[in-house]
Amino acid sequence: MRSPLASLVEFHLRERRRSPLAWGLPLGLMSAFIVAIYPSVQGALTEVVEKYPEGLKQAFGIGELSNVEQYLHGEMLSLIVPLAVGYLAARAVASDLSGAAESGRLEVVLSAPVRRSLVCLGAFLAAAVEIAAVLLLTLVLSLLGSVAAGSGLGVGHALAGFAAVWPLALVGAGLAVVVCGLSLKTSVVTGVVAGSLVAMYVLDLIGKLDEGLDALRYASIFKYYGNAIETGIDPVAFVGLSAFAVILAIVGMALFERRDLSL
Amino acid sequence: MSGAAIETDRLSKLYPGGHGIAELTMEVPTGEVFGFLGPNGAGKTTTIRALLDLVHPTSGSARLLGLDSRRDSVAIRRLVGNLPGDFGFGRETTGRAALGLLARLRDAGTDRAEELAHRFRADLDRPLGELSRGNRQKIGLILAAFHRPDLLILDEPTGGLDPMMQEEFLALVAEERERGATVFLSSHELDEVERICDRVGIVRDARLVAVERVPDLLGRARRKVSVRFTDPAGLDELERIDGVSDVARDDGAVSFRFAGDLDPVVKSLAAHHVTDLEISRPTLEEVFLGYYGDAGEGR
Repeated sequence: MRSPLASLVEFHLRERRRSPLAWGLPLGLMSAFIVAIYPSVQGALTEVVEKYPEGLKQAFGIGELSNVEQYLHGEMLSLIVPLAVGYLAARAVASDLSGAAESGRLEVVLSAPVRRSLVCLGAFLAAAVEIAAVLLLTLVLSLLGSVAAGSGLGVGHALAGFAAVWPLALVGAGLAVVVCGLSLKTSVVTGVVAGSLVAMYVLDLIGKLDEGLDALRYASIFKYYGNAIETGIDPVAFVGLSAFAVILAIVGMALFERRDLSL
Repeated sequence: MSGAAIETDRLSKLYPGGHGIAELTMEVPTGEVFGFLGPNGAGKTTTIRALLDLVHPTSGSARLLGLDSRRDSVAIRRLVGNLPGDFGFGRETTGRAALGLLARLRDAGTDRAEELAHRFRADLDRPLGELSRGNRQKIGLILAAFHRPDLLILDEPTGGLDPMMQEEFLALVAEERERGATVFLSSHELDEVERICDRVGIVRDARLVAVERVPDLLGRARRKVSVRFTDPAGLDELERIDGVSDVARDDGAVSFRFAGDLDPVVKSLAAHHVTDLEISRPTLEEVFLGYYGDAGEGR
């Protein structure tokens, strides 16, 4: 017999079984393309990047682009992958909470003897697995692109780079649980999470561009995200972001327990 | 456990927009089939959601099967089956996938569900989004009843069902009552209510305006009678019969509304040469208008 939590997570993963392919395939192919073209554009890129203002390079995490890891970070891992996977995490949570309320599924599920907080926890854990699957597929395709083009992408570096996205995206999932505790409209949930992620990215960017505004970066999870593909995973940041995501999810569960489940 | 499957004490759920329920006090004994009637927006679904702790009451309390609706909601839901008013589970989900989840959450077998699916000719293997409303409703009924609950709460259960399946549904409710289960259903369908409910509660404008036995409710309902005569003269005595109202004449035809004992009406009409007679059963809305008036006052 499976526990109710395992049953909820399994149902989510089965219902959203196409999601890793739908999200991981385009992200992975794009990453593979970036990695694959690196050897042919390396020289030209180095020349161009050398002319960039230092602040701009720092702000966007663009190094000297002297290796494929730096290029992959600048093109994919500094913005596109974290924002896309963070948004996916919000959608994944919303599908079990606000989306389920909109489709009528939530009322049927909550006619069974399960606590609302367990449904929230199931949504959060399932989102964690779903985004891990998307990141894994993206990683694998990136490595295949490297092998095919002989770009020399280091497996350990790439693994660290994509793994570091996971806790950041998990914060998106945690935030989605909070918003579901306040609104059962999927458009609101995904909109708030996407807006928050973009806003935090911009805050981090502003803080990097202007030293006087550096304090703003503390309000952004991107400050703690770093550049793991080059520097390796910062365990404190990894655990800290994951813990923050869990705290958000717990707050969301409490809000969800208290709210009326009517649209 | 007390003898009541459902007890509410001044249960209220007030929304800023004005809809909800106010001061609802009622008792549904164990083993009864209870109809909860009212027009759209009267508060039926809100009441059901408050009983199941899906919405939290503003004030008052409810007990289901002797348990507090808020404190013991998880324990209550173990004993209850619920069919929401507008059943859905996601367009791509199959009935079997939904059943699998609920069976695991309830730690219940699916034999009864398979039996019900066969009986209702429900297709458990097609995505719900590909099913008609009636076929989706069958899946909802199966999910509500497959674990043999002590209390079945059904919100508009026959919406979309074809007449044959409605008959099957009525038979299922009768079997549930036979088994000792309590059935609480909201409905617009007076025929359905008449055939299966022991008592009905009528809710209007968020308030419970009456709780009556079904024969009493129908006995007092005003029917619409249309009669055509070869000679319409001399029908003044009809207007004097107790229960007859709104008499209108139109070129050999007379129509009127009527409630109460039919015998004096028939005798009065029999004195004339009747060429056509039609007595229409009142709709639920007409029962409302007939008994509670537009202001929704009690008798």
